[in-house]
Amino acid sequence: MLKATKKAFTTFTLLLLPFTLLLAQEETDFMRSMGKMYVVVAVIVAIFIGIVIYLVTLDRKISKLEDQIIEND
Amino acid sequence: MNLLQEITFLLKKEFTLEWRQKYAISGIFLYVLSTVFIIFISFQKISPQLWNVLFWIVMLFASINAVVKSFVQESGNRQLYYYQLANPLAILLSKMLYNAMLLLLIGVLTFVALSFIAGSPVEDAYNFAMALFFGSVGFSITFTFVSAIAAKADNNSTLMAILSFPVVIPVLLLLVNLSAHSIGLLGGTQVSRDIMMLLAVDLVLLALGMVLFPFLWRD
Amino acid sequence: MKNAWWKIIGVLLIIYSLIVGLLTPLRTGISDASPTSFKTGETIEINVQGYNSFYTKSSNELRAWLKMDSVNALTANNIEVLDDRNLSLTFILPAYLPTSHKVQDFTLIVDSPKDGAAILPGGIFVTQDSIDVASGDSLWVNAEITNLHEKETINFPYRNILYETIRNLYYHVPLWFAMFILFITAMVKSIFYLRSFNPVHDQKAAAFTSVGILYGILGLVTGAIWAKNTWGAYWSWDVKQNMTAVGMLIYAAYFVLRASFEDPEKRARISAVYNIFAFATLIPLLYVVPKLTDSLHPGAGGNIAFGSQDLDNTMRMVFYPAIIGWALFGTWLATLVFKITSLKERWLDQQDGF
Repeated sequence: MLKATKKAFTTFTLLLLPFTLLLAQEETDFMRSMGKMYVVVAVIVAIFIGIVIYLVTLDRKISKLEDQIIEND
Repeated sequence: MNLLQEITFLLKKEFTLEWRQKYAISGIFLYVLSTVFIIFISFQKISPQLWNVLFWIVMLFASINAVVKSFVQESGNRQLYYYQLANPLAILLSKMLYNAMLLLLIGVLTFVALSFIAGSPVEDAYNFAMALFFGSVGFSITFTFVSAIAAKADNNSTLMAILSFPVVIPVLLLLVNLSAHSIGLLGGTQVSRDIMMLLAVDLVLLALGMVLFPFLWRD
Repeated sequence: MKNAWWKIIGVLLIIYSLIVGLLTPLRTGISDASPTSFKTGETIEINVQGYNSFYTKSSNELRAWLKMDSVNALTANNIEVLDDRNLSLTFILPAYLPTSHKVQDFTLIVDSPKDGAAILPGGIFVTQDSIDVASGDSLWVNAEITNLHEKETINFPYRNILYETIRNLYYHVPLWFAMFILFITAMVKSIFYLRSFNPVHDQKAAAFTSVGILYGILGLVTGAIWAKNTWGAYWSWDVKQNMTAVGMLIYAAYFVLRASFEDPEKRARISAVYNIFAFATLIPLLYVVPKLTDSLHPGAGGNIAFGSQDLDNTMRMVFYPAIIGWALFGTWLATLVFKITSLKERWLDQQDGF
């Protein structure tokens, strides 16, 4: 379970890497093209990343505690 | 003993204590004077805008230092003693009242000291006095209450700063705005509305403090 | 799954806001006009760049005006369609304008039955050599602006500078509202705790607060991205931005306070008191103080963001569901956080049992 989330998370960040590189290179022009649509995309991606990181940390904590409880039983 | 009598009695006690250990209050005054002196040697020339901000910053830090001791620096035994003797509301209100007077004094001292070294840019004395008065009251209400909270924890003087700075910022912003009006940095006719707002914030915090304080006090 | 209906509704509402918010097209607009300054008494040609426009599809029915004020407007003498995005408009300016201003700004309006009307507010400037209101009145050929079309399909309003980022209204703004709902819930739970002294209420208050902080941070980050590309800087020292940062500090202090108590009963009681007190200081922070000074945010200082007339009904149909969706989703997250505390307690009980 833990390994799976870790894997999913790394793949996810790897997928995003080219996008962020693109952002860094030609920030203004790229972000302003297509009627600034990429600003909306960036906002949604930021929210998504934030929620995913939060969920992953929560998941880790919960599964750790559950493991400990089961061990004690 | 009714509430009013208790408050006056406790207030008298605060003054007597302060009078006996003069080092505390003289320490605060020295703090104000040395801060103002440091400001003087580091800035030399102080614009009205800077004056306004510096005044409230000196006021803020001096206030925190002055109010910390109201609950935080009292020993557990003394608190227990109060607990048996007095109504919690009377304790809170007397401390707030005492602190408000102390902060007003500190404010006046800061004003005099800053005016002495940098001149006074204040144009509308009445407004500035109002800002100072309601500011002292607001600071006193928030800091006294937060000090009561922090006193319950262990590492309390650090906690006092962490808890009180964010909480006091809205009041501080209103104050800086209001005194900017009285210095003539800001135009506009909203001064009376600002003062009303400050009063409203003060009253809300006071009411909440009075409702919540009994919960802090019991144990 | 019996008690999961509200979680499903929350997620569905968020998905709805994503799909509808991203797929609905913007209304047509004028993204650029050049040149923008002219002199009176000339025949002028303005090149108009349209946004989301289909000029070739209704080339014969296009109409264009230069609007001076609510009464006076000048109609275009000739409209040449270059392609779907570009128009060339010809106007004949009279020698005098019926105004006493030296430089008068005009609003450019282009109307097409297919796309609806597009407006460039105050974008064209005309300078008069000498001012003569009387002859300006007599020379003026007024063209009343009538029968403006509306785009038939569902759409969102077009705003210069904002362009497509107007859609962030469904992703950035609901976070703030949901954050506030979460903080209010946390405060109410704190009140419950002080009335009942049931530790569950306090744990729930802490859970809601931590999710509220998450939303606040996300709101700040997304706001910074949006601000960078519309106002020009990540952090514009806007009052609402500062205030929210202060709000985050207040609630971070709440967790520092919680951490500094060993005794759970004392921790619960005192942090509940601080939570209620801190929330009260947050109300003037977010709603009173910003009104005092100019803010880039709506409702202050006459900015072009979303005033009351800008949030039109179509946007409302996505905006309000998004708020409810994020609030429900936040509640779900809060139940997860709460689950951690209850698991921790169970584990501690087990330890004590041995």
